[in-house]
This record gives sequence, structure tokens and C-alpha cells, in this order.
Amino acid sequence: MNITGDISRREMLEWSTWGLTGAALTSLAQAGPRPPASHFPARAKRVVHVVLMGGLSHIDSFDYKPELEKFHGKPLQYKERPATFFNQIGLIRKNDWPFRQHGQSGLWVADLFPHLATCADELAVVRSMVSTSANHTPATFEELTGFQLNGFPTMGSWVSYGLGAETDNLPTYVVLPDARGYPAGGTINWSNGFLPSAHQGVAFGNGDQIIPDLNPAQPIPANTESASRRLLNALNLNDQDRFGTEDALAARMKSHELAARMQLTIPEVADMDRESAVTRESYGLNKNETKDFGRNCLMTRRLLEKGVRFVQLISGGSFGSPRINWDGHEDMRRNHNREAARIDQPVAALIKDLKARGMLEDTLILFTSEFGRTPFTQAGGSKLGTGRDHNMYGFSLWMAGGGAKGGTAYGSTDEIGWKAADKPVHWHDFHATVLHLLGMDHERLTFYHNGIQRRLTNVHGNVIKDIIS
Amino acid sequence: MRIFWSNILFAIAFAAPGFAAKKGGADWWSLQQVKRPELPPVKNAKWVRNPIDAFVLSRLEANGLLPAPEASRRTLIRRLSYDLTGLPPSPEEVQAFLTDKALNAYEKVVDRLLDSPHYGERWARHWLDVVHFGESHGFEYNQPRNNSWPYRNWVIRALNADIPYNRFVKMQIAGDMIEPGSADGIIALGCLVTGPHNTTRPSNDTMRKTMRQDEVEDLVGMVGQTFLGLTINCARCHDHKFDPISQKDYYAMAAALSGVNPGDRDLRGLANGADVAALQKLRAQESHWLKEITSIEDPVRNKLLKSAQKSGRKGPTPPRPDAAWNFTAGLTDTIGNLPVLLKGSAKQNVEGLILDGRGFATTKPLPFDIAEKTLEVWVKLKNLNQRGGGAITLQDNQGVVFDSIVFGEREPKRWMAGSNGFTRTKSFTGSEETKAANQPVHVAIVYRADGSITGYRDGKPYGKTYKTGFQKFSASTAHLAFGIRHGTGAGNNRMLNGFITGARFYARALSAKEIAASAGVGTITISERELATALTPTQREARAQHARQLVTVRSEIQAITAKAPQAARVYSVVSRNPEATQILDRGSVLKPIGAVMPAGIDAIKSVKSDFGLSNKASDGQRRKKLAEWITDPANPLFGRVMANRIWHYHFGAGLVNTPNDFGFSGTRPSHPDLLDHLANFFEEKKWSMKTLHRYIVTSATYRQDSRSNPEGMATDAGNRLIWRVSPRRLAAEELRDAMLAVSGQLNTQLGGAGYRDVREYKFKGSHFYDIIEQNKAEQFRRTIYRFSPRGARRNLLDTFDCPDSSALAPDRAATTTPLQSLALMNNRFVLSQSVFFAKRLSEDAGEDIRAQLTLAHELALNRPADPKELALAEAFIADHGLDAYCRVLFNTNAFLYVR
Repeated sequence: MNITGDISRREMLEWSTWGLTGAALTSLAQAGPRPPASHFPARAKRVVHVVLMGGLSHIDSFDYKPELEKFHGKPLQYKERPATFFNQIGLIRKNDWPFRQHGQSGLWVADLFPHLATCADELAVVRSMVSTSANHTPATFEELTGFQLNGFPTMGSWVSYGLGAETDNLPTYVVLPDARGYPAGGTINWSNGFLPSAHQGVAFGNGDQIIPDLNPAQPIPANTESASRRLLNALNLNDQDRFGTEDALAARMKSHELAARMQLTIPEVADMDRESAVTRESYGLNKNETKDFGRNCLMTRRLLEKGVRFVQLISGGSFGSPRINWDGHEDMRRNHNREAARIDQPVAALIKDLKARGMLEDTLILFTSEFGRTPFTQAGGSKLGTGRDHNMYGFSLWMAGGGAKGGTAYGSTDEIGWKAADKPVHWHDFHATVLHLLGMDHERLTFYHNGIQRRLTNVHGNVIKDIIS
Repeated sequence: MRIFWSNILFAIAFAAPGFAAKKGGADWWSLQQVKRPELPPVKNAKWVRNPIDAFVLSRLEANGLLPAPEASRRTLIRRLSYDLTGLPPSPEEVQAFLTDKALNAYEKVVDRLLDSPHYGERWARHWLDVVHFGESHGFEYNQPRNNSWPYRNWVIRALNADIPYNRFVKMQIAGDMIEPGSADGIIALGCLVTGPHNTTRPSNDTMRKTMRQDEVEDLVGMVGQTFLGLTINCARCHDHKFDPISQKDYYAMAAALSGVNPGDRDLRGLANGADVAALQKLRAQESHWLKEITSIEDPVRNKLLKSAQKSGRKGPTPPRPDAAWNFTAGLTDTIGNLPVLLKGSAKQNVEGLILDGRGFATTKPLPFDIAEKTLEVWVKLKNLNQRGGGAITLQDNQGVVFDSIVFGEREPKRWMAGSNGFTRTKSFTGSEETKAANQPVHVAIVYRADGSITGYRDGKPYGKTYKTGFQKFSASTAHLAFGIRHGTGAGNNRMLNGFITGARFYARALSAKEIAASAGVGTITISERELATALTPTQREARAQHARQLVTVRSEIQAITAKAPQAARVYSVVSRNPEATQILDRGSVLKPIGAVMPAGIDAIKSVKSDFGLSNKASDGQRRKKLAEWITDPANPLFGRVMANRIWHYHFGAGLVNTPNDFGFSGTRPSHPDLLDHLANFFEEKKWSMKTLHRYIVTSATYRQDSRSNPEGMATDAGNRLIWRVSPRRLAAEELRDAMLAVSGQLNTQLGGAGYRDVREYKFKGSHFYDIIEQNKAEQFRRTIYRFSPRGARRNLLDTFDCPDSSALAPDRAATTTPLQSLALMNNRFVLSQSVFFAKRLSEDAGEDIRAQLTLAHELALNRPADPKELALAEAFIADHGLDAYCRVLFNTNAFLYVR
């Protein structure tokens, strides 16, 4: 390789990478938010991702299957034996919650979500989702990263990497875990994978330290704290005088200033008392079943207002018994009633609040679950059970806000909701669509890692144009 | 140095369309044999200390650049110490170097550091990054791997012993084959099982097979990238898009590795090194004497057995249960007073207790306390695909706390000890059930007070005993249930489908013999007295003599195995001979399109890719051939890739700056001739890594100052031409270790099981790891000894770019973020080390602030404080104290960067 002679375009790129180091660091040193790196005009600037852990039953929520009534109590009429996690194929069971049409669009929503139903005209439902795993964690990783294995960056990390921060006072990618505990796999669910650690999700907790190390682990007098910062800066400047200017070192000096700003902003954002009683009630902070998720939804709005790029709101903890997520193997009614009651009002309140503030049009809300549930019950032999098993062949999700075509339903499953029939959509397509709405081409948002220009969408993905307004 | 912004800009500087139109062929540079380049001519020949410098200087001169002047001794010793050991030099070491008049003063420092045991700790960390070493399974359950640490320690030991790189590699791929019988041969294989492993296996076959293929891909990826710099894993679904690696190559490589399964291996009774041969000899003697003894005993014993059988002697008497049911006869307890009541659809007839998934049966509450216990059942299953039903259960009367014999819940087709929230449940790693759908099998589980749980099937041990907690039940608060895992009403996946023909309960732990007797598989035994009486006097004498020999041999064995105290177990390769590997069309397990033999990559023409193995070859044979193929000196990638890695860690950038990818998508070498020169040197020096380190760090290139200059920045801001040594930020582990060293708290204990700064707990079956902070010497060991489960990420390490151990990390980012600033200012560890640091200063330097400051700067920055620093420090300490000053010092750029 010769830097002065005739060099290939790719080598040029490589060299320019190095050449740009200085300029890049100067931009951090100036601390201004970096302009979003868009490929085309963005419809949304920020994302809220509501992740339902365990598997939401699509046929009991957003995918109305009147035929189920007819097949109720009858065996499945497929030639092949369905592949399910527990391999117990019971009789078909009709939806446990009645469906009604809502809004001007007449979108079908089940009574499981009475509050969300009032937002029907905002929802763009995809009813033909498919996945390639019916095992919770690999399926969840696929939902979040596009891959079933550990070690890949989550969507929030990709968005943080692609668009950078809108603010320097808060992390770019914030995670609000379920108050009942972390999901299975813990922090793997917001890992930066092989992306730089700056793109890892930062989980907000409820304790004194809203994020780790926000404040000194032991109390330090305020005057000592400010004198320490001044001294640190003076020592660093002296070092610079002696050894010369170095971009990386200058950037670090700037990072201390940004850290001090974060210390002020984060407690402010987490302080719900700054909201009116009416607002708090609208999110359900006054009721036992909704107060946890309501707080997280209200926090989400406050974070978005301050410039956070991506908020991952998690509904559900890890697996096992008794259940604290959407994994309704035993008794769908009990399980989904309990889980839906926690989130229905808060999520609806978030949509309405964002709308009222004019933020919904450039905030993309995603509401997804790793897979759906089977139309037949999970029961031995030919029995009509009360629970449903995992279903990766057909399930639903929805988007709302920034660029999503509200009041629509895209694709369909077969007559009983077992398999996607019309226009199947894989996670890769969903991810491609999300990036598209954020102004990024999923084939061009790449990061080199061990031999591959890695993408959120692997080598797949088609933007679903029909759900874009 | 790589800075993350450059990564970002690289990727965001969107490639033009058609960028990927080309690909590499078999003539790709890295696949060609290593050349022997001539030393290039240079103008400034005086600057050249060794041939490395000629290669570097000729490129600098060609680009009109001058090398930087040599760095000061203070800078050099700080650089060398961090680089080779990951720790700062002590003030005494700095002083000794400054005053050493010898011509080889620098080389003496290099040798001292390479000989230090901390060298292995530092460079093992690099290696563990490359092979994605993590100490839990990941995925849903994320169980801890409590026995992975011997592999980590082996890497440290191997590096310290400077075992040749080719042996280092062979040991990690086929240690069990090239050092049969040695503990290290098994420990080193830990390399192949470092990745995540999903233990949640679905019932569905296709799903299970796909999961296995995903694991194989991870393994092929790790092996290909680590040892060859080839991304073979990219050819699983189609031929490699950029490199001359076919899909067939991928599956041939997969075939070589598909016998690798993860699991714990027993190390007890194994030796190392020269002791292996000695031990083998002793073992041969042991079996010789045993054979001599049995050749005397067996004929006599057989005779006695025959006559015993003839006279109608019975086998051992089964132990007496506390309750027993013969369900083919009825529901009554044949021992005590615990009749069984049917619930739901459960029935009883001559076939036994009949369970259809909706019914079960229970006893009334047991009238006695239960501590140790044994559950025993004879059960026939309706089908082997069912998941999670309990055969016999002891549970509290609410049906919440329970111990149960459960079928197929966590692992399809396997028996397990079910318990509330899986608190006492682990895999027995027993074999899959094949028989129970056709005839009743006997299953028993024994619960001991020490928390150990043992399974039995048909009277024989089922898999392995494991240890967890222990559950007691008080009188009248618990009862037995049949056909339900737990609970008081029928529910889906807790129910068993099948027949129970009989069951027994013991309020004590039975021995293996008793279980065998109860299962009816115990045999008639001939007592020693009977046998001795029947032997002739000559036979008795000979036998006694042999027995004495045996005792001697055994004590010698004992002496050897006790000599190398080591772990009892290691998480390593459990070898299984694989079936023929199929090429899978588009990677789909449903579309096999033909078998492949284990083999290497065809495009590396200088080594024969054919292993000469059939697809019936054993797992060990496959791995042995693979190791030989990889390490063949004619394999051009073998030496190049490692020489480049070592260079990369010394300079912060490789000659090929994608250390795991020497293919088309990787970068071209900045100094191709230098790379080949180093590869040749490495081979000539018998693959000694320490010799290669010494060669690199004694070059003039390495000794350059780090100061920037406008000419260099204008021509080559990224320093690919090495016109200076780029300053680098301490890596996360180095940062923590350095704070400990500076504060005087570093616990330099080598080896061992490491320290845990997490509280592990199980919640709903998943394992979680909460960070705990303790000011204990045990916690103050070097960070490489940290128990590192996946997802148990520590803020201080994490924010400073400690990688996610699920991803292969050949190269660490060095980012600069506000979260790092928060961590370094506020983390409990930093604050407590600041206090220790201050305490050390007042203890070692006395009351005088000047003396304290001098020592502080010597310790943390390896240089004295200058007058400006002294003035700033003295004013600050007067108001805010020494602790606060130490905290600031830990945050300075001067501490955080190595120049």
C-alpha cells in the first residue's frame, strides 16, 4: 500500500478514517450534538420501544379471528404436527377477549386493551409477523438484535451509533426495566455487542443512584467536589503544556464537563413530582396495578423531551413460576389480564401525551413481543386447555407516531391465526422499516466486525412501505 | 491508537455502491507463502537498532517523515511496564533504571518484565478477549460456569512458561490427544467451549438441531478467526462473499469440530508434565496387580456363586421404606398408613395408577418431619415428548415448595429433580430416556443434608450427583403427590401422562447399594471371609503378596496426584464422536445436501487440506488433524496472524489492522514485508512469544517518543507509518489494577479460583449477578482473576470498553465518554482506593506534604511533581485533604494514558 500513489477507493476510506480522527475529536471537544447521519429525510427523530417479554397472544389482542369461534374445541386441521416449544397440542380455543372496532379507522382491538383501543387510529398493526425461534431468549435476541445468539448490538445501540445523541446531558439510549426485575439474560437485552461501549443501553433504576455512579458512592462536600473538578482541569492543562496537545486527551477534558451536566439533568428528569397531579393520574401513577409502568412511561416522555434518542421500556421479568411476564402457558385469562392491566393505560397515556405536545409526529413508538401464542391450547392429547404455547409462525406488533400509518393493519395470518398467510414480515423487515423511518438505509448503516460489515438486518430486510404514512 | 470516533466515521462514511463488487481469490495475499524479504535500504542507517527499524524507516523516508526521537527513560519504563505486565513500575524500579549506567540497561528492564509472572496475567487477558472467554452460559438461564477458571490459569501459566506458540495452539484444539492423560491437555481445551451455550432446549427437533448449528458456527468462527484470521463462519449459508472459502470448506471445518460438546471434566487423579508418563506406568502396574489378584479370586468366587445360587441364596434385602404402594394392586400403603386419594381423572387398575394429564393422586399430610429423603417410583410414560410432568412429589400442603421426580421439563427426554423456582434443580446430565414409553422404568432421587442430590434409573446412577440447597419439611405440613409436579389442582405442563406401577418413600438417604437392591438389580455377594476360606494356602499367600504390591503402587500414585494441587473439575470439551456432517443448503437443517469429511480450507494451497479421515473418525482424531493442519509451518496464516496480534498489542494498531480478518474485508498490511519478516523470525525462534516481544520492544521503532508534530499529523494523522508511538489509554483492567498497585492494595496472588465481586442468585430459573463491593484483600486481586459471568457487567470496567464476552474481541475500542468520567469520579472502588492511596502516602512519606506529593506522583505518574503541580496540590490539600487529592490524581490524563 502506498499513500501517495494510486490507491483504491477502499484504502482511501481507510486512510481517511485515520485522517479524520482529529476532526472527529474536535467535534466532541466542541460538545455540540452531532447532526444525525441520515441517508434520506427522517420521519422520526426518536424511538420508544415497548418490549413485551414472554409472548403476547396476537389472537387475543390485535389479530381478530372470528373463525376461531367455529373451531373452538376442535382439533387442528393441519397435516404436519405443529412445532411448538412444549410439544403439547391441545384443541383450538377461541379468543378469550371479545374484539371491537375502534376509532374512525375501525381497527379491531380486543377488550384486553381498552385504553390502547382508544388510540386505534394511531396504530399501524402488522399482523403477519414471523420469527425463526420459538425459544424465549433466542427469539428475544432476534427481536432486539436480528440474531439469535448473544453478542450482537441491540436496536437501541444501532440507533445510538447511527444517529448519535441529541443531547449531551443524558445517555443516548435509556432502558427502563420492569419494576419486578430484569428480564432473562439481564443486561444482555441492551448490550452494545461489538459496537463501542458508548452505545450500550443505560438502565435507569429507582434507587438513589438512578444510573450507576451518577453521584459519589460516599458523600463529598459540594465545595470539595467543585474544587476537585477545577484542580483536575488545571492538572490536565498543565500536562498539555508540558507534553503537547493531543486530541484524545482534550476530548477527555471535555467529557468531565459533560458528566457534570448529566449529574444535574438526570435527577431532574426522574423527578415525577414536577408533573401535575392530572398528568400523573393519566399515566396511572395513583393506582397499584399501573403505578410502576405508568412511572416508566411518564419518565419516557420526560427523557424524550430532554433529547434521549431511544427508550426501551420493558414489560415483564424473567421466566419461571409464578409468572411475571406474558408467558401464558397455563391460564391465558389470568396471565394476560394481569399483564395488560399494568401497561394498557400507561402506554395509551404516553401516546396521547406525546400527541398533545406535538411530539408524536417525530417519535416512533414500537410495541413488540418476541413471538405470539398458538390458537390451540397447550394441553396433552385432545384437550381444551386454558393456556397457549409459543407461536413463531404468526403474530402481531404495532408502531405508532413518526411516519407510521395509523389506523391500519398490514398482512394477515391464516383463518385461525396460526401461521402468517398474506405478506409475512420478518424481524429484519421490521428493523429495516424502523431504520428507514429514522432516515437510515439499513443496508448502509454498517459496522465492521471480524470480517463483515455488520448490519442490524444481517443480509436481509425489506422496508414495509405500506405501513408508512 | 484507535479511537471510537474513527470507527463511527468509518462506518458512517457510507461506502459507495459497488464497493463490495470485488472479492479475493486463491491468489489473495495472505494465503500466499510467507516471503523472505530483503532488508530495505535506508538513509539514516544509524537509527536502525534491529531489522524491524529498517522496514519502518524505509517507509517513513519514502513519505518524507522522520522518526520521533527516543523517549525518556521515565517514559520508556512506564510504557514497558504497562505493556508487558499491565502494571505501573514502582518508584524503586524507575530509580534503578534511571541510574543504571550499563549499556544494556534497557534490555535488562525488558528481561525483568518478561520474566515477571505478571507478564502472563497481562497477555492472557489479550488472549481471553480473542477467544471470548466468559464464565456463564448466557441466554435465558445464564448459569454460572464455576469450573472455567482453570483454563484462564492455564493460559497465564503457558504464557509465563513461554511454551512455543504452535504447542500453545495444539493444546487448545487437541490437548487431550497430544498430551493424553495430562490434566493440562484437558484444561487447555477450555478454549473450545468459551462461547455462550443455550441450555433451554425445545421439544421440537428442528429447533434443537438449528440451535446446535448456531453453536457450531460460533465455534468455527472462533477457531478460524483466532488461529487463521479467516472468517470461515461467513460461509455457513453460501460460499464466502469476499474470500475464497466455499460452503463445503465451512462444513468440512464444522466436521472437524462437531464432536466438541461443552461440559465439566474430572481432573482428579491426573498429573502434568513428566509425571504423566510416570503415572501411566504406575497405573499399568496397578492394573497388573489387580489382574493378578482377580485371576486368583475369580475362579473361586464363581464356584462359590454357583453353589450359592443352587442353594437358593437371595440377593441383598431391599431397604425398608416409610411408605410403599403397589398401584397394580390398589391404593393402600403396604407399610404405613398413607393411602392414596385420586384427584381429577386419575384412575387405578391392574396396570397401575393411570394418569391422563388431567388427574393426579395425593396422600394425607405426612405425620413425621422430613430432612434427608429418597423418592422412588416405577413409571411408564404415554410418550417421551411430554414436558414437565411430575411422577412423585413431596410438597408442602399449599403445593408451592416441592421436590419432585420430573420428566423432560428443562431438557427434553431427561429426568430431573424438580423444585420450586428450580432452586434445587440442575441437570443430572443423564442420558435421554428411550425405554419408558414401552415398559416401566425405575427412577429414584436421593436428597442429602449437605445439599447433594443423586439420581438413579433402573437402579444405576443417573448422570452425576450435584450440590444445591437443602429443603426440610415439618410434620403435617407436607404430603406426597403422584402425577403432578406440584400444586393442588391439575394444570397443563405440570401433569404426567402415563402409568405409575409402584412408588416408595424413605425419610432417609439411601445408598447406591440400597437403591440397587430396591430396584431388584443387586447381585448375590460373596463375603471376603467365604472367599478367604475357600482359597488354598498358596493362593492366599500369593494374593497377600500382590495386595502389598498394590498398596505400594497406589501410594505412589497418590503421591503424584497430590503433588499438583489443581481444580477438581474443568469446564472443557466433552468429546462425542459425531455423525457424518452434512452440507446444509442455505444453512437449513431441513435441507442436507451431502456429507463432507473433516478437512481444512482448500484455498490455502501450501498445506494439504485433506485430513485423510473418513467421516467415521473419532472426535479426537478430527481435532488432532485440524491442530496439525493449522500449525503446519507451511500454513502462511499461522505465523502471520499471531505475529500481527503481538505487534497490534504493542503499538495499539496491527500491521494488518483487522487482527481477526486477513481476508478481503480486512485491511491490507501497512508494512507487508515487515509482517513476513516477523512471521519468519517467529518461526526461526521456535515460536517463542517472549523472543518476539523482546525483538519488538527493543527496536528503535518502539522506543520513539509519543509527542506529536505537525509534519506527522499532516501526512499520516493515524500514525500507520509509525512516526511516533501513539499515546494509549489504559484498558479497563489495567486501570483497575493500576489503582490497586498505586494505592498499595494490590493482592498479587497468582492463579487459583479467582475472586467474585458478584452476588449470584436465581430468580425464576434465570441466574442473575448483582455487583457487590467489598474492601477485602481477596477482592483486590488483578482483574483477570475476576469471575466474569455474561451479563454481570461492572460499570467501571464496562464503561472503559471491557468487551461483552459473547463477542470475539480481537481489538478493543478506546472510547471517551461522560459515563467514564462519572465512573472514575464516583465509583465506590475509586473512592476507597483513593483513601487507601492517601493512607499509604502518610505512612510511607510521613507528615510532610511535599514528601507525600513527591511519592504520590512517583507512584501514580512515575515522575516527580513539577513546581506548578506542587503549588496547585498544596493549595488544594490544605482545604480538602489528601483523600480528595488522590481521587483527582486517579482522574488525570497523566495517570490514565501511557505515552
